Amino acid sequence: MWSGNLKTAIASLRSAKWRSLLTMLGIIIGVSSVITVVSLGEGLKQQVVGQVHGLGSDVLTVRPGKLVSSGSTRQNINLLAFLSTSTLSEQDVSTISKLPSVAVAVPVDFVTNSAAGDGQQLDNVSVLGTGPELYNLLHPKMDSGAFFTEDNLSDNVAVIGSGVATRLFGGLNPIGHTLSILGQDFIVRGAFTPSAGGLISAQQSDLNQTIFLPFIPAKNLVSGRTNILQILVKTNPGTSPDVAAADIRHQLLQNRGGSEDFSVLQQRQLLDLTSNVVNTATGFTTGLAAVALLVGGIGIMDIMLVSVSERTREIGIRKAIGATNRQILSQFLIEGLVLTIGGGFIGILVSLIIFGLLRLYTGLHPVITPMVMILAVAVSITVGLIFSGAPALKAARKHPIDALRG
Amino acid sequence: MALIALKEVSKIFGFGEATTLALDEVDLAVQKGEFLAIMGPSGCGKTTLMNLIGLLDRPTHGTYLLDGKNSSHLRPNRQAKLRRDRIGFVFQFYNLLPRLNVLENVALPLAYRGMTPVRRLKRASDMLELVGMRDREYFFPKQLSGGQVQRAAIARALINNPSIIIADEPTGNLDSHDSKVVMELLADLHRSGHTILMVTHNPELTRYASRVIYMRDGTVVEDESTSIGAVAKGALQTYLRKRKTTEEDIIAGVSALMKDVPGKAMARTPQRGRKKKAKRGRARKVKDSVER
Repeated sequence: MWSGNLKTAIASLRSAKWRSLLTMLGIIIGVSSVITVVSLGEGLKQQVVGQVHGLGSDVLTVRPGKLVSSGSTRQNINLLAFLSTSTLSEQDVSTISKLPSVAVAVPVDFVTNSAAGDGQQLDNVSVLGTGPELYNLLHPKMDSGAFFTEDNLSDNVAVIGSGVATRLFGGLNPIGHTLSILGQDFIVRGAFTPSAGGLISAQQSDLNQTIFLPFIPAKNLVSGRTNILQILVKTNPGTSPDVAAADIRHQLLQNRGGSEDFSVLQQRQLLDLTSNVVNTATGFTTGLAAVALLVGGIGIMDIMLVSVSERTREIGIRKAIGATNRQILSQFLIEGLVLTIGGGFIGILVSLIIFGLLRLYTGLHPVITPMVMILAVAVSITVGLIFSGAPALKAARKHPIDALRG
Repeated sequence: MALIALKEVSKIFGFGEATTLALDEVDLAVQKGEFLAIMGPSGCGKTTLMNLIGLLDRPTHGTYLLDGKNSSHLRPNRQAKLRRDRIGFVFQFYNLLPRLNVLENVALPLAYRGMTPVRRLKRASDMLELVGMRDREYFFPKQLSGGQVQRAAIARALINNPSIIIADEPTGNLDSHDSKVVMELLADLHRSGHTILMVTHNPELTRYASRVIYMRDGTVVEDESTSIGAVAKGALQTYLRKRKTTEEDIIAGVSALMKDVPGKAMARTPQRGRKKKAKRGRARKVKDSVER
């Protein structure tokens, strides 16, 4: 019976190829956008996780703004802290680095957004002041030249990301070229190799669009004001990160007379934070994609209703020769399911094509998990059952005589 | 015991002022092996009666005993299963599914019984052999003539070996040759012991029946047993009254029906005269224009 119904369903869908295809299109778009969005989010999360892991578990991050807990486990930085100038100071950096549990403390100081070089002006870069120790914490890959060292602490030198290098100097080797930042000239000393795209958690994380300057000249550019986005801290070998984090917190509280306007994040918390942000963004866009799926489902219902009224006579004949209501119901349900499951599979194929294109032409790396695939198929089956259920029920309940009259 | 027994069966359609009494306390008993022809004018309740007996509908009042069992108020699913196993339908408009080929159409009732595809197609093929359609198995209904489609429909009606075959004007859409083939087939089935209920407007077809009932306004007005091969007496009367269309009427394009209506014949002649005059007038005008 089921195979017969399946055959009938496919035959009737084939007899109206364009209509079936257009109906499926709604499901295809819905499923492929849900998969794409969820996988992009997943990819982003894994990228972030990879980068945070890259820092090593002995690296702590001190950020301005207090970490606020909402609910039981979810934690978030108070976003208002990002709007004001940083509450972290140079003094904090120096006191932290003197702590016995701390090996190195490096500030990341935001200077400006724009830089010029070779007659070109860039307005969406991060110009950051930092110390030479950053190199050992981030382990960036160098394309050419080198990161600045202890010897360049007060020199006007710069290390630039690959994106900055390409935009300012094209294909030329950027080493030795001059950058103009807030009216002062800096000589490019090193350039990073291209890295995977930016993180959401902190704007300075996209190395491609970053210019690093030594801390002192950077500070001098803005007449001694600092705006420290974060302090990266490497603990001493043999010290547990928990102990170090407690030490740092204690020291910083002491520095500012007990008011806690900062947070000390360990790797785990950093991960939580970033995945929270990514999850929120993914959840929101998935919601939008789900609306597309819903619209697709309504399209299915529409077409199934048309199909039922077009085939009233057929229903009458089938009932006259002995089809029960349930048999008619399953016939039309299967037809709806063929549409949605077919649409679901085509949607998966389409999303795979989209992933290929994304990987080819952008720095985004969507990650497809089996979970997503199962979800997509389950969702399309559910949509099929819900939206072809009503038309199928309508067909099954037709009175045989009325149906025979057409 | 009668195969079919109707006791004071009524069927009412609509409600309030729009109520129609389609069947008015009909009593009818049909024995196994009868070939019952049902005649009567349009709207007399023939089809409603067939729908009730065929379990496509339920009576408003009265009882319907099928094989001695009360079948007046069965639930839809039970009705469907009885239709599938006990009743074969042959319709005026064949009612084969256009998207299935003849073989699949004939096998469809078995599918609803849950038989495997191989077995049901084999059985359908045998059934098509019986109606002389074996060589057309894989044709689609639209590729066949009316008579062939109707034979396939009869094969479908027979596939579950039903105890009753209900044929609602089975030859209504066929020419005389195809009608004869289909009726011979039904006669064969009758001879082999099937019970057949047939609605017809054609008195000639009562030759095949063993019993004829005449209906008017929802009641059975006459019940006549006939010998097979002879046109039923009651049908003969309608036969003699049958209107004939003459050559002249066809030329004039006026139905012979008008002749029977008193007064219309008188009214018609001058009308025709006017038409002729008008024609002549037009001809003259043409002539005039040519001369000019």
